[in-house]
Parts: sequence; C-alpha cells; structure tokens
Amino acid sequence: MKTITNLLKSALAAGVMAVATLGVSNPVQADELDAIKESGVMRIAMSGAYPPFSFVNEQNEVVGFDPAIGAEISKRLGVEVEIVTTAWDGIIGGLLANKYDAIVGSMSITDERKKVVDFVGPYYRMSRGIFVKQGSDVADLAGLKGRKIGVTLGETHEQWAQEQEGWDVRTYKGLPELLLELDNGRIDAIVTDDIPVLLAIRENVNAITQLDTSGLAGIADQAGIAIRKGNPELHKAMQAALDAMQEDGTYLTIAEEWVGGDIR
Amino acid sequence: MDFDLILRVFPYFLQAAVVTIELSVYSTAFGLICGALGTYARLSRHKLLRAVGTAYVSVIRGTPALIQLFILYFGGPQIGIQLDAFEAGVIGLGVNIGAYMTETMRGAIVAVDKGQTEAARTLGLSRSQAMRKVVLPQAARLMIRPLGVNINAQIKGTALVAAISVVELTYTAQRYIGSTYKPFEMFLLAGALYMVIIYVVGLGITFLDGKVALR
Repeated sequence: MKTITNLLKSALAAGVMAVATLGVSNPVQADELDAIKESGVMRIAMSGAYPPFSFVNEQNEVVGFDPAIGAEISKRLGVEVEIVTTAWDGIIGGLLANKYDAIVGSMSITDERKKVVDFVGPYYRMSRGIFVKQGSDVADLAGLKGRKIGVTLGETHEQWAQEQEGWDVRTYKGLPELLLELDNGRIDAIVTDDIPVLLAIRENVNAITQLDTSGLAGIADQAGIAIRKGNPELHKAMQAALDAMQEDGTYLTIAEEWVGGDIR
Repeated sequence: MDFDLILRVFPYFLQAAVVTIELSVYSTAFGLICGALGTYARLSRHKLLRAVGTAYVSVIRGTPALIQLFILYFGGPQIGIQLDAFEAGVIGLGVNIGAYMTETMRGAIVAVDKGQTEAARTLGLSRSQAMRKVVLPQAARLMIRPLGVNINAQIKGTALVAAISVVELTYTAQRYIGSTYKPFEMFLLAGALYMVIIYVVGLGITFLDGKVALR
C-alpha cells in the first residue's frame, strides 16, 4: 500500500512539474492593446441574461445596450468585436484567465473589484431596487424581515442583502431566474438594479411592483468596463473611445435604442 | 405552452444540437484513446504504469466532472494552459469519460476466460500475440454494450460545458430563458433534441453489437 502511495505521489509530482514547465509565460507582457490590435478582435464578456443590457434575441444573437457599447468601442479601436456570454459568478475569473479582453456587462464599480481589475468608465449609472409580486403583503423594508429574498450571486446587491438583519437571502444565477422565482412564489422579494426590472414591468412581462425604498440613501452604483490590470494603453484607448461616443451623440442613440433614455 | 415561440427558435436549437453532437463525437473519440491507454496501463506488468493507470481512474472517477472542467478552464491559465471553452470541453469531458471507459475495457478483457490465454500460450503464442489474436477479439464483443452506456452518459454529460460558456443545447436554452422567461418550453425543446441524439446513437450501438455477436 505504502509503495503505491509513494508511486502515486511521484507520478503526481512529475505531472505537476511537466505542466508547470509548459506554463512558463513571458515575464514581461506588452500592453494588451497591441495584442488586441494585432489579432484584430476584441473579446468582450457579459452574462447575456440581463435584458435590456444584454440578452439573446429570437435569432439567437446577443444584443442589448452592453454589446452595442462594446461593439462601438471596438469599432473605434479599429478591431472586430467578439461577444462571449458566461455565468455572472465566474465572469471576473474568466477575465483574469484571459478568456476575453474586457467585461462590458453592466458591472458595478466597487473597491473590492478594483483590487483585481481596472475599470474603464463609468458608462452608466444604476440604482438598487427591491421588487415584490403584485398583491404582496410586504409593504416596506421592515416587512422583509424573515422573508425569502432573492439576489444574483456575486452582485453588489447580494452583499448588501446579506448584511440586512433577519433576511433569508437566496442566491441565483441571474435576473431571469430571480423574476421566475418571484413569479412562482419561491421567494418574496428580489434585490437588483432597477432599470431592467422597470423595463420588464413596462412591457408587462411580469406582474411585479417596486417597493418604496426612498429611505435608503446612497444606493446608486456606477457601471464600468472591466479589463485586466497593467494595461494603461488599453485603458486609455477604451476610455477615449467611450468619451468620444458620449460627445458625438452615439452613446445617447444607443441608450435610447435599448433602454429608452439617457442613463448617465 | 408557447408553440409559436418553439417553432421560431427551433432552427437555432438545431444549430446548438450540432455543437452538442460535435462535442460528443470529439470527446468520445478522445475518451476512447484515453480509455485504451488507461486499460493498457492498468493491465501492464510494470508496477509504475499500473499505478499511473489506477491513479488516473480513481482521481477522475472520484471527483465531479464539473469540478474537472472548472479546473481545466478557469484554473488552467494560472498554470499556463490556455484553452478556449470548446477545447476545454472536449479535453475535459474526454479525459473524464476515458476513466470510465478504462474500467469498461479492462472489465471486458478480464472477463475473457483465463483458459483462453493459457491455451494460446501453450500453443506457442507470445503474451502480446495471445492478447491481440485471442483475447482482444473476444473482449471487443463484450465491451460494445457497456461502451455504449458510457457514450450515452457522455452525450448527456456535454450539458455540463454550459457552465464554461460553450453555447450548446443546454446553454442555448438557458440564454433564451433569459429573454423569453419560458423555461418550460426551452428546456423541453432542449431535452427532446438530446433524446433524438441518444436514440440515434443507441440504434447504432445495437446494430454494431448485433454485427459482432453474429460472427
């Protein structure tokens, strides 16, 4: 038994060493702007499950505000855009793992995220909303105590909800799941960015209503575009593209098309 | 039940089914190679090789396939392995099913009566000749059905790569739910397409099994 364990250990060690040797990467990496321009493609990531910011239309194309902004930035950098959809809870991991070059995915800029990624932007402003089903007996924030509250795993709202006293917080993969669960009664309320839900309400997709949370101050977040750290040139170029499209009105056209108004 | 929606998105689900089929074919082929190598190692006379084979089987079968995919796809770049989602899916699923196929193939070979080897050796065949000319042809018949079970599991297992963002059937259904809020219709459609694929492959396995059994 002992010899087998030893053999296993040495086999494992050999394997790890082989892999490690494979993985010696260039010590000094040039700015990724060059790499993107050279490949001619910028890969941008989003959840694809966050209408109207990013979602799949009936032709199975990823569309919305975020892909439009990402495509416009790519165009201004002179490269093609490639859109990747991925689960929200692994989206930063994917960026760090070089699966794509930027996250244009309605990501709130937070100090915690700033420790691992750099943000271009902000490119729009969002605020927190709490929603319940129409006819719910929950009337205000206090009524949420002891209730089941749905949030998206990894969102800033999740952290905020976890800090609230007496809430039974359930985490989900994204907004569609939240809306479905609210609708089928497994949860009593959801905490999320308000714009997508307000739009869903306007389009009568879901019989839900916003809870009056005017007592909450300072809950506005800024959405930014995340890129890997250590790329000042890429940051500068993307920021310049974003600024330019805000100046010449392209940004407003995109915002009006997908969200129905200026959201800066 | 929104039949109109199902009809409208059906062509795109068919495209996604093609991705699922590609994933299944490539990863099964890769799995068969891994399985053959694993079997060779497991039945080898060399202690070290046997240990490697045993380690492969127990590590892979002892951990969830989803974790293996995450390690390969998200963890890989940290140790210098850069794969796109599809490649990671094929390799991850292939290595995974290879461990199960190792046990299937080894089981079939071991199931061939020992007397067959002994008789072949008595007639002057070398160890490898006895294996190739006497044992393997008999084992091949025994392993077709169980390998079919492995392949069936593999096709359904491709749904896991939705988690590493390969846009195959399951992820296509999930993405459509994001904009249509119709999980029943979308998952039902995806499930039906999996069933069609499984059914056709099942027919193929039965046909193949009938062919060799008759010989």
